[in-house]
Amino acid sequence: MTMTDSPPAADTALAAISPRVVGLFDALTTTDHKRIGRLWLRSGLLGLLAATLLGVVLTIENSNSSPDDIFGGINSFFQYFNLYRFGLVLLVVAPLFVGLATVVVPMQVGATNIAFPRAAHGAVWLFMIGATITVVSVVSDGGWGALDGVTGTERDAIALTLVGTGLVIFALLMASVCIATTVVSLRTSGMNLLRVPLFAWSMLVATSVWLLTLPVALGNLAFIYFDLRGGPRIPDETFGIAEGSHAIYAQIAWLVEQPQIYAFAIPVLGVLGTIAPVVAKRRHAQHVVAVALIGLFGLLSVGGWSQPWFQGNNYDEKFVFIIFGLFAVIPVFGSIGAVADTIVGRSSDSDTDSAVSSDPGASGESGFAGLLSVYGLAAIGAALLLLAGTVAGLARVIQPWDLGDRTTETSVMNLVLFSAVAAAIAGIWFWAPKIGGHELAVSTGRLVVLDIVAGAVLLGGADFVSGFFEAPAFGYHVVGSSAPLPSEPSNQGFVEVMNVVGTIGAVLIALGVLGVFAAIAKAMRSSDGVDDNPYGGQTLEWTTSSPPPPGNFSEPPERVVSEAPLLDTVNENGEEA
Amino acid sequence: MFTTGFKFFFGIGMALATGAVFYGYTTGGNHMGPLSMGWKGGIGEHLGYSLLLGLGVTAMTVALFLVFFRDADPAAQAHYMGVEQIPTNNLVTASFWPVVGAFGVGAMAIGLVLHTAVFVTGLIICGVVAIEWLMDGWADRATGDPEANRALRNRVMAPIEIPALGAAIVALGVLATSRILLATSKLGSVVVAGVVSVLILGIAVLFARKTQINKNILAGSVLLLAVAVLVGGIVATVTGERDFHPHEVHHDDENGADTGEGH
Repeated sequence: MTMTDSPPAADTALAAISPRVVGLFDALTTTDHKRIGRLWLRSGLLGLLAATLLGVVLTIENSNSSPDDIFGGINSFFQYFNLYRFGLVLLVVAPLFVGLATVVVPMQVGATNIAFPRAAHGAVWLFMIGATITVVSVVSDGGWGALDGVTGTERDAIALTLVGTGLVIFALLMASVCIATTVVSLRTSGMNLLRVPLFAWSMLVATSVWLLTLPVALGNLAFIYFDLRGGPRIPDETFGIAEGSHAIYAQIAWLVEQPQIYAFAIPVLGVLGTIAPVVAKRRHAQHVVAVALIGLFGLLSVGGWSQPWFQGNNYDEKFVFIIFGLFAVIPVFGSIGAVADTIVGRSSDSDTDSAVSSDPGASGESGFAGLLSVYGLAAIGAALLLLAGTVAGLARVIQPWDLGDRTTETSVMNLVLFSAVAAAIAGIWFWAPKIGGHELAVSTGRLVVLDIVAGAVLLGGADFVSGFFEAPAFGYHVVGSSAPLPSEPSNQGFVEVMNVVGTIGAVLIALGVLGVFAAIAKAMRSSDGVDDNPYGGQTLEWTTSSPPPPGNFSEPPERVVSEAPLLDTVNENGEEA
Repeated sequence: MFTTGFKFFFGIGMALATGAVFYGYTTGGNHMGPLSMGWKGGIGEHLGYSLLLGLGVTAMTVALFLVFFRDADPAAQAHYMGVEQIPTNNLVTASFWPVVGAFGVGAMAIGLVLHTAVFVTGLIICGVVAIEWLMDGWADRATGDPEANRALRNRVMAPIEIPALGAAIVALGVLATSRILLATSKLGSVVVAGVVSVLILGIAVLFARKTQINKNILAGSVLLLAVAVLVGGIVATVTGERDFHPHEVHHDDENGADTGEGH
């Protein structure tokens, strides 16, 4: 056998490793980051559909004057409500952003593939296995605890839910390592950290926060599991299984509450910061500021330390918790301000304008029409939802209002998570040519964005208002059962009206999600080609073909000298340099 | 000398550490406690102090890494490597092992809850995957030519893989099929054995006649067959064996017990 010491040409090497077939074999063996990313995105979208439909049923149940009709008991309601909460975080938002990042980030930093592609591929399959175990075990009477006590038959199912959740978190951590390493180590020449595109930077921050905090959740799950399975007994049964109540859920509830919930929305600011300059057709006016603000938001979303179960009832009166809640608004507000500066100030930068408008690739919608593009609308809608979520979080920590353990918590969660969903949809529409080689329908997209943003406002807003009427966090009709919440709303009639409003919001969101599937199905049937850079993108992923080839670039990108490399290739006369 | 990344994170670290000291003194810290991390005096409110100081130390550690790696600046890396441009990341060949590993970890997780045998199976799968993954990683970097790497890897691993895989398939197949045969009735077991034999023979003939087989069809067929046999085996194991009656059983008739006769 002959060995060669010198590398062959790039195209020969790529041809040698490129799968010669597509389909099942490809899905089982691929190491191409774009295919791995698509697996994440499909998983996330499937989870989104299931979660939003479950959300509709839950809100209908919540607005029902005679509760427990649909789920057949308060315990089942508790299990499915928890599935909705944890599912939306771990099975929807996280995989959607991981999927987008797995496809886009390597191209944005000029790499030929993601770091550790086999680990990235293993992670997505581990995620799917963990998600399946989690969902099946919840349906089989498992879940994160039982209000009426853990009986013998439920014990195994609950244990399966715990290990399924653990697998999902472990898979997300594996994927996080791959994404963060790609941004840190595989950047092309000249791209220092301040020149990294904002979406890639936001994913670096987000995955770093996940890597810092999600292992804490794994620790929580391990302790609960050992307690549940009769392992090493903890003194005084601190982990609560013997109490047979909501104790299991309560120990990991911090994952879906502030400040940790913000960690899953960090990429919202990255999507906004990447799309806004494209819409404005100029450079980001405050790129360095945006980098700092995303970092600050990441810092304020580190939430592993905030665990109500271990800190007692007055955990929300602690100084640090209040500071985190108050300050989280600042980076979001600042990011929106920086984007406004970019969009509104566009007319003052005539040189860049003329250069971009003459870029042959910049044939996307221009001026304020760009704002009406699906990705523009979705990115701005997502940012406003995130602002609303952090404002609700701010209200939550103002002690005189006493909004702790009220529906305000659910409001923060829904607003923040659906801002993340809207941002993911913005990303899917924006990068669709690179994800699947298609453009997604504009008319359907606008309806999707309208539905989801309006639905999230109604859903989150209704809960926010109800919080002021002392509606307890876990559905007021729980009161009277063995539930942990002691109070009733001060104005039950009004809260019931708000619950109906929330139901309308959930239905709108579900319709929007169905629209996403319709748009994707339509695009997949289409045989139309798409330009390499149909929207006038400014970052490196738009220098390659749509869809990109294996290895992403036919030749290595030129040395990067700014955060918008494609604008650097066009000189002041509008000619490509 | 100091990189931008270093300045950024070191500044954050210093601000947080200063904040921790300030917070310590304003929440009950005394003497040198907040400055000495509690060695000489109290640090005040523990949670906030620990959080601020912990984040500060983390940021300063990141700053040290960044100055050491020159902000991971590709140009700096290329300079240290003595090349014009750092090479693109290695080309990684397609592989089944990540998926197999994921299923192995999944089996371990399920086995942890349901049955030790499933856990051990998952553990064995993970062990095999670890070895194969390491070998693939080594082979990918062996030379600059992917074809040569693949040949090298196969030359080392194929003499181990093929017999081991064959033995595992036969063992699993025999085990699972035997469970199915034991769970079904006498006539049923004859039918199952016949159908399975004909299926295996038929599929083998079909594949043997084809010079070129679509990999999707091959992967799908193997997956389907494996899943069918395994699921059948698991279901049969759970169901339990059918009742067996010994051909001749002799009893002392003192207690009035029946004398059994095989059927």
